[in-house]
Amino acid sequence: MAVEQRIAARRRGAGLARLATFAQLIYRSLTVRGSRLGVALAAIVVGAAIVTALTSLYFDISIKMSEELRAFGPNIIISPRPGAVGADQPRGVAADELRQAIAAMPRERLVGGTPFLYGLVRLDLGNAVLAGVDFAALKAISPFWQVEGGWVSADFDDRNAMVGRRLAQSMDLSIGSAVTIRSLDGATQAKVTVKGIAETGENEDSQIFVNLSLAQKLLNLRGRADFAMASVVAQGSEADAITEALARRFPDLDARPIRKVSQADGQILDKIEGLMALVAAIILVITTLSVNATLTAMIAERTPQIGLQKAIGASNRSIVAQILAETAAICLVAVGVGLLLGFGLAQVLGQAVFGAWVTFRPIVVPLTLGLSLAAALIAAVLPVWGAVGIVPARVLRGE
Amino acid sequence: MDAMKTQARDGNAIPMETTPVDPTSLESAPLDPAPAEERRKVIGVAGLAKRFGTLAALEDVTFDVFSGEFIAIMGPSGSGKTTLLNILSLLDTPTDGSYRLDGIETATLTEREQVVIRREKIGLVFQQFHLIPYLTAVENLMLAQYYHSVADRAEALEALDRIGLADRADHLPSQLSGGEQQRVCIARALINDPALILADEPTGNLDAANEELVMGLFETLKAQGHTVILVTHNPDLGNRTDHIVRLQHGRLVR
Repeated sequence: MAVEQRIAARRRGAGLARLATFAQLIYRSLTVRGSRLGVALAAIVVGAAIVTALTSLYFDISIKMSEELRAFGPNIIISPRPGAVGADQPRGVAADELRQAIAAMPRERLVGGTPFLYGLVRLDLGNAVLAGVDFAALKAISPFWQVEGGWVSADFDDRNAMVGRRLAQSMDLSIGSAVTIRSLDGATQAKVTVKGIAETGENEDSQIFVNLSLAQKLLNLRGRADFAMASVVAQGSEADAITEALARRFPDLDARPIRKVSQADGQILDKIEGLMALVAAIILVITTLSVNATLTAMIAERTPQIGLQKAIGASNRSIVAQILAETAAICLVAVGVGLLLGFGLAQVLGQAVFGAWVTFRPIVVPLTLGLSLAAALIAAVLPVWGAVGIVPARVLRGE
Repeated sequence: MDAMKTQARDGNAIPMETTPVDPTSLESAPLDPAPAEERRKVIGVAGLAKRFGTLAALEDVTFDVFSGEFIAIMGPSGSGKTTLLNILSLLDTPTDGSYRLDGIETATLTEREQVVIRREKIGLVFQQFHLIPYLTAVENLMLAQYYHSVADRAEALEALDRIGLADRADHLPSQLSGGEQQRVCIARALINDPALILADEPTGNLDAANEELVMGLFETLKAQGHTVILVTHNPDLGNRTDHIVRLQHGRLVR
């Protein structure tokens, strides 16, 4: 191709051909600088790995923390709005409405939820508080219960019951014991077998649990419940959002987060996430300084070559593009390695802190890439400035 | 020089001249007594001055160079040769005076326009060769093509073939001798068919055999119609050019 043809090709664009030459120039320029390239790569790999590990934990920790905090019990209570129940109506609220409210919570967040109906009943050796529940849901939201024997597994099971530890001791009940539960007026009674004895350290230790429909029958409150408790996987304000949505949809109900759990959840998360952000920021600053020092040394070494490139027709824009492209190429390779190492580090931290594997979250990839690229390009600002300032006439004379 | 096989710029063979120059004809006048109107004026320098603070590196330098001329700039160290060459190659700007290159007044050019003019109209040859060390011989030529327009490996290989280095195309500069590196440097200077070739002590780092090889190359270029300006200390080399621009204390001397 003659010069005129090359000029014509350039006027037509020739973008790909020029890009190929540019890429070849970048490749040659980088591969010739083993040791310096290694230092820059290592700095960005370390930065990217730590950012990957911390962001992986950041996105996973909230869910893991929520799951762990769920062990402390339900975090949302739904009760009838004061004044919503007329004086002529039986106490409480329709159990089906509570179940609808529970079902209306985001399915992927909902761990479980059950209506509760409480009332005083007479057992063989005295009175006790009876609680009617949906057992499957109760089990889901009460992972901290210490249960001897077993849970009543089916919600429709009206032949088995669970009793609290203190009640079992005072009434001399054990697994397999038969208990007759009578309403206070003696009009209704049911015979159940103790399937499990629960110890919670709370009021439940003095109660007897049967399925909701049996409790309604014994308390003569058919279809009613006092309130419902639910457990959702949600950080701080997310629980508020869920309860606000419930309040809009069920105006007769009052849904509230149970503060002691959701606030602890939010405060601990805030502190841990703040700490992780601080560590990530410090690492990125160190990475930036390290890459800056390496790039500065690389540019200083290449001063005669940059001077020559300018002398034979390279514009400042070309020189800047070359240095930034080299920096970006180093960064891309380093981030690739850093992502792998960082995900491994996240697993180590996940096991050490939570005893659980950290799930891969795709958002970590663009986040790590973006932060690493930003750090590397910031690091390149001063070296680029230096390269733009190179005066070819001086460096070609060897000054 | 058998290595140079290109056609003359105007298509005609131009006989090689190595006529010694009468320095008295240089100041404020065309360097060649031949009718100037027959040839294109490549360089027109008038009243050129360059001062660094109170130090005058060049003062009132005036001369013209026409296409196809082979000119030497000579003078002792500190006489302003390199400063003049830097201005002629648009790597520096004069403090005063006018410098027209191929009809373009360079004093009013922006830095960006200077870069464009340099890559399109000027080929530079250096004493230290200044090849990019991590690019092969052919890639060094392709880099100059890339900054000019589009890299073309086949054309770059042809250019190396013309200076007898086709078999060294994929060698790095460190694998080439000094003479070979200088020939690659000259091929790079020529690759974009510039109006002007500026060579700064191109044989300063070469042995006698390579010096002869390189000078022969310049003489062939001149014979083919290229305009060449050579900065040298060596009177023998200066005497092989058409004319000598002699500098002393920044001024042209008769």
